[in-house]
Amino acid sequence: MDSAIIIQVTGAQARDTAYVLVKRLIERGRKAELLGPEAAALLGGAQGLNLTASVLARNGVFPVAAEADAALEGDVLECAVEADDTPDFAAEKILEALAEEGLISSEAPAYSEEEEAEIQRRLADLGYIE
Amino acid sequence: MSHTEPVGNAAGVGRGLAEKVLIIGLDCAAPRFIFGPDAFELPNTQALMRQGCWGLLESCHPPITVPAWASMFSGRDPGELGVYGFRNRKDYSYDAMFTANGAAIKVSRVWDTLSRKGRKTGVLGVPQTYPVKAVNGWLASGFLAPNTDAQFTYPKEFGQELIGALGEYILDVRDFRTDDKDRLRRDIFAFMHNRFDAAEHLLSNKPWDFFVMVEMAMDRLHHGFWKYCDPEHPKYEPGNRYEDVFRAFYEAADARIGRLLEHADRDTLVMVVSDHGAKAMHGGFCINQWLINEGYLVLTETPDGPKRFEDCQVDWSRTRAWSSGGYYARVFLNVEGREPEGIVPASAYEDLRTELIERIEGLAGPDDAPLGNRAHRPSDLYREVQGAAPDLIVYFGDLHWRSVGMVGFDSVYTFENDTGPDDANHDYHGVFIMSGPGVESRSELNGLQLMDIAPTVLAAMGVDRPQGMGGKVIA
Repeated sequence: MDSAIIIQVTGAQARDTAYVLVKRLIERGRKAELLGPEAAALLGGAQGLNLTASVLARNGVFPVAAEADAALEGDVLECAVEADDTPDFAAEKILEALAEEGLISSEAPAYSEEEEAEIQRRLADLGYIE
Repeated sequence: MSHTEPVGNAAGVGRGLAEKVLIIGLDCAAPRFIFGPDAFELPNTQALMRQGCWGLLESCHPPITVPAWASMFSGRDPGELGVYGFRNRKDYSYDAMFTANGAAIKVSRVWDTLSRKGRKTGVLGVPQTYPVKAVNGWLASGFLAPNTDAQFTYPKEFGQELIGALGEYILDVRDFRTDDKDRLRRDIFAFMHNRFDAAEHLLSNKPWDFFVMVEMAMDRLHHGFWKYCDPEHPKYEPGNRYEDVFRAFYEAADARIGRLLEHADRDTLVMVVSDHGAKAMHGGFCINQWLINEGYLVLTETPDGPKRFEDCQVDWSRTRAWSSGGYYARVFLNVEGREPEGIVPASAYEDLRTELIERIEGLAGPDDAPLGNRAHRPSDLYREVQGAAPDLIVYFGDLHWRSVGMVGFDSVYTFENDTGPDDANHDYHGVFIMSGPGVESRSELNGLQLMDIAPTVLAAMGVDRPQGMGGKVIA
C-alpha cells in the first residue's frame, strides 16, 4: 500500500490550493480527500476530523485539510500558502515537498520512444553527441 | 579562490538592492566579439559594460550547454549535478544511457528559489527546463522539448498564448548539418528573432521580478559559419559570401537586446551572460580508434570503414577502456566488479588512469607538434562526483579538436566531419556583463565562474542562497 500523510493547508487561498492539490494527486494515481470546513462540521468538529484524517492517511489516502479551525494532530505536513502564490503553483510546491519526502514519485514524464529518437537525432545533428 | 570569497574590485551587487533581475543568456557568445580584440559595434551591450562591469566567465567542465546553464543557475558543478553532458550513463552497464533533460536536475535553480519566495519569474528557452516544472510565473522550455505539441510551457496555456502571439515558438534550427548556408543563415536569424519576440511578449504582458532567457541561435551560428568568419580557421577563404554573417548576427542580437532593456528600470539588475565561448575547430581526434591502436579497446571485428562505435561488437573480456565522442571525450574504464564484464582490477585502476592521462596529454598532432590535450579526473574538477561519471574528461588540442568516437579510420586524425559541416568547438570562457543598482561603472572583473551567477542574483534580490549552493557573490 502507498504511504500517505495528513496535509494541512493554511494561508491565502488555502481552500482553492487544497482543491487543486487533491486534483493533482488523483491525476498522479494517488488517492486524496478534501477535508474542508463542511467535512469538519459533518464529522463533529476537530476530534472527528483528526480521527478521519488519521484513518485515511493510514490507508494510503492523502487527507487534505483546508480552513480547519485548529491544527491537525499526528504526522502532518503543514503548508502555508504565500500571499503571492497562485493555488496552482502552491499545489505544485506541496507536490514537490511530497516527492522530496518520497511519498509520491517525482513527476518526470519521460520522452516517448519517438520523442527520445527525435531528441537523439537532434543532438547528433547539432554535434553534441554522435 | 574559495567558493564564498567575493570577487572583483569596486564593482558588484549590493544585497537586496535590485527590485528586479533581467538576464539575457547568449549561448556560446564569444568574448572576442563583444569586448575582445575583434569586438563588433554593439551599442546596447557595450553601454551596459560602460555602465557596469564585465569580464570573462569561466565555464564548467565540460564547457558545453548541458550541463553549463544548469550549473550557472543552480550554483552546482556538473559533478554535483551528476550531469556530464547531454548523454550520461544511467549505471555502469555498457549501454544504459539517459538524456539529461530537466528531470536530471534534482536541485533548485534560481527561479525555483525565487518562486518559493513569492517572486514572479519568467523563464524562457533555458536548456534543461523540459519536462517543465511549475514556477511562480511563466516558463517556456527550449530545444530539449521534443516539439510544441508536448507541454513545453508552464502553465500549459502559456504555450498556446505564445504561439498565438508569435505564430510559432521555434525550439531550434532544423537540419543544421547542411551545406545550404543561405537557408541555414535565414533559419538562424529567424530563430534568434523568434526567441527575442517571445521575450518581449513575456516582459510586456506578464508581471515579473526575475526574467531569464537563453538565445540559442548564436551557438548554431558559430558551429555553422565559423570557417567563413574567422581568418584563423584553417578553411577560411577571404572574401567569401558569408564573411560578414557574424557581425550581422551580433549586431541584430544587440538591437534586440536594446529593445529588451526598455523593460529594465533603474532598479533592475541586468546581466548578459554566456555558458561558454567558441573557437575554430581544426579537426577531430578519433579517440576510440586510438584506444584500439594502442590495445586498450578490442572489437570482435575490424570495421572496413568508418562506423559508429555503438554499432560495433566490443570484446569486453579484452577491453580496458572506451570512449564516447562529441566536443570533448568521456573515457570509461572497464573495471572489475563495476562494469558487467570488467577486467581492470580495482588495484590497477588508478595506475591505468594515470597512464592514460600521460599518454593522451603527450599525444602529438598530425604535424608532430604537441596537440595540447588535457585529461582530467572528475574528482579533480568537482566538489562531488554523482552518478556514473566518466573516468576521464578529455579535451583535444586545447579544444580546437573535437572527439570522434567512430572507429574504422586509417588515422586518428580526421579533418572531415562524417556527420556534416561543423566549424567551431566550444571555448573555456564565456561572457559576463552586469549593470544595475549598486554596480559601479567601467570595471573589468577577473576570476568569474558560471556558478557565481546564481548566488549573485539571489544576493541582489535579498534572498538567502539554498544550502549547498556554491559560487561566489560578485560583490
